[in-house]
Amino acid sequence: MMTSSERIGDVVLDVQDLRTYFVTRWGVVKAVDGVDFQLRKGETLGIVGESGSGKSVTALSIMRLVPSPPGHIVGGKVLLEGQDILELSDGEMENVRGSRIGMVLQDPMTALNPVFDIEDQVGEALRIHKDLTGETLETEVIDMLRKVRIPAPEIRMKDYPHQLSGGMRQRVVGAIGISCDPAVLIADEPTTSLDATIQAQYLRLLRELQELTGVGIIFITHDFGIVAKMCDRVAVMYAGKIVEQGDVRQIFNNPSHPYTEALIQSVPKMEVREERLYSIPGQPPALWELPQGCSFADRCRHTHDKCLEAYPDVFDVGDGQVSACWLREKETVSAKS
Amino acid sequence: MTTENATNGSSESLLAVRGLKKHFQVGSGLFGRNKLFLKAVDGVDFEIKEGETYGLVGESGCGKTTTAKMILRLEEPTEGTFEFEGNDAETVGKSKDLTRNYKSNVQAVFQDPWASLNPRMRVGSIIAEPLEVSTVMTKTDIADKVGDLLVEVGLQKAQANLFPHEFSGGQRQRIGVARALALNPKLIVLDEPVSALDVSIRAQIMNLLEDLQDEYGLTYLLIAHHLATVRYMCDKVGVMYLGRIVEEAPTEELFDNPLHPYTRALMSAALPSHPDIEREEIILTGEVPSPLDPPRGCHFHPRCPSRFEPCEGTVPVETHPVPDHRVVCHLY
Ligand SMILES: Nc1ncnc2c1ncn2[C@@H]1O[C@H](COP(=O)(O)OP(=O)(O)OP(=O)(O)O)[C@@H](O)[C@H]1O
Ligand SMILES: Nc1ncnc2c1ncn2[C@@H]1O[C@H](COP(=O)(O)OP(=O)(O)OP(=O)(O)O)[C@@H](O)[C@H]1O
Ligand code: SF4
Ligand code: SF4
Ligand SMILES: [Mg+2]
Ligand SMILES: [Mg+2]
Repeated sequence: MMTSSERIGDVVLDVQDLRTYFVTRWGVVKAVDGVDFQLRKGETLGIVGESGSGKSVTALSIMRLVPSPPGHIVGGKVLLEGQDILELSDGEMENVRGSRIGMVLQDPMTALNPVFDIEDQVGEALRIHKDLTGETLETEVIDMLRKVRIPAPEIRMKDYPHQLSGGMRQRVVGAIGISCDPAVLIADEPTTSLDATIQAQYLRLLRELQELTGVGIIFITHDFGIVAKMCDRVAVMYAGKIVEQGDVRQIFNNPSHPYTEALIQSVPKMEVREERLYSIPGQPPALWELPQGCSFADRCRHTHDKCLEAYPDVFDVGDGQVSACWLREKETVSAKS
Repeated sequence: MTTENATNGSSESLLAVRGLKKHFQVGSGLFGRNKLFLKAVDGVDFEIKEGETYGLVGESGCGKTTTAKMILRLEEPTEGTFEFEGNDAETVGKSKDLTRNYKSNVQAVFQDPWASLNPRMRVGSIIAEPLEVSTVMTKTDIADKVGDLLVEVGLQKAQANLFPHEFSGGQRQRIGVARALALNPKLIVLDEPVSALDVSIRAQIMNLLEDLQDEYGLTYLLIAHHLATVRYMCDKVGVMYLGRIVEEAPTEELFDNPLHPYTRALMSAALPSHPDIEREEIILTGEVPSPLDPPRGCHFHPRCPSRFEPCEGTVPVETHPVPDHRVVCHLY
């Protein structure tokens, strides 16, 4: 396996102050409210957070697939290889989707259409984005399937999804995801958990695809285990904002936001048996009635006066690790608000 | 806490199941010619000691929920017996009192807190229902008890008047626990009680279950596929594959010394709790086979990285390579 420094290159995706709001009958839901992050070539960034924290809306905003109404991207920039894709026309964006940014779903059954054979489904993506037809298209399809290690691809491409094993179906979905050599691949993990052995297969496949193409991957998950296994960097979301972001080892060893620390402590470990798990009291706040100060204040072990007055600035705690917590104000390298 | 229980070998067995089988008839045809049997559970034995937590783990479809349903008497076993507090199934079945006693002593909490509560009933009535059906308590006594139960699981008395949709997922699971506690059961079957919940809420519910166990000496059968949850909660664990228990041991022994190749593969696939932990990945080839047509010999042989000559043709028998640690594999 490649080391991370060999694998990781220039910034391919630069998300700046992204804001996506939904107008609902309860009020304005600030589902994504000032999100900043960067993704490099060959890098895997984990976006982790609880249900409703805004992970999927972040992904949908980058793909420009936010259902509208009720949703609107109200601010920010999404620079894909330097170009702000929020400025593109719908037609131009259509082209970017699937060719420069791909999306893979973890459940291969819902991602493949049961009535078309594999050749049709892999070919479809190539036909649209690379404008291939006839024999060239067929050769390319076979090539793609071989890349994801489907045995005897010229025969198996005539199969329908139900004729393939679960692992092979995952590989086909992976082949479609990378067929146009995208710069960014977004994997949004559904909340329902897969069996551990199937999940391990899927994670291995994503790794292989990345080594093959150098694609930057955004992995959206609830699970710190996935982050530990797959990611180079991680962004922790809470109530529509990134509360902490940094190198994966630093975040695990030295979390600089109380929410991150508490989350890591509240997950049981398979390697040791704990006497008592830490549990975070309460539950995440409703997004349409956020408190004035820090949105984690009513569950935090370190809440103090300042926390109730204003939402914390984002503090740089060193080595690219940033934290939106007032506790970091003194030890900080620099602050931006 | 549970660590004490694990070393306390003297406690009594509360529930013992032996040779439990459930074969579903599927497919049909004229004159029953295409009758097929799906062996969801195919000869399961285990024993749960009073005050302990027994874990059942295994991949989707291996028969965990079906086993639980038979214990809850929601599904009639095709074969096999059980013994509860020393009374066998036949004795329990013949006596109305014992049957009623069994039904109130064995309760359940299911995975999906959204689906398992009637949306049209107020939470107070949901919790009161088993008390109304199975006891002779007065209305006021029931209302008091419901209030106490709500407090016990970390909710408020006044919340009895609300409907399930007015609660979050974690709170609904608390309501499910309150309802299961209503009849002062001895055994609670927990079928994936936290897997539908958010990470921060999971720890709350697991700790609530641990506290209630300590307070009331409850016995749990915990079904989970998340190995770390099992390690945290259980005293003893059985690993199921295609309707059978292929390995069983006290929790610490199982995690420190997994013997069956399937158990090892499951553990190697489990996600690490820190980026520095790199496990050797055991790659399972082949598909999870169908319980309609299980492989001959050892059920696991088509996927087993350690298979050798006898595996394909001969069904392995149970051995005890370490005391209190059983495994069904030709390697031992
Ligand atoms: N179409 C919509 N209309 C109104 N609100 C929406 C819509 N889609 C999302 N939201 C709101 O935006 C917030 C963020 O949702 P999002 O789907 O991004 O959460 P998530 O972090 O992906 O959660 P999960 O882990 O459950 O997938 C939620 O509060 C949600 O209710
Ligand atoms: N009523 C039924 N009729 C026919 N087959 C059934 C029935 N109930 C369960 N099965 C089958 O029995 C097998 C075991 O199912 P069960 O629900 O016990 O699995 P499980 O271990 O609980 O899986 P999961 O982890 O997905 O909940 C599966 O193949 C299932 O499809
Ligand atoms: S800002 Fe205050 S309330 Fe928010 S996480 Fe930091 S210490 Fe806790
Ligand atoms: S009996 Fe053979 S095939 Fe089955 S688990 Fe043991 S080694 Fe593997
Ligand atoms: Mg989502
Ligand atoms: Mg089940």
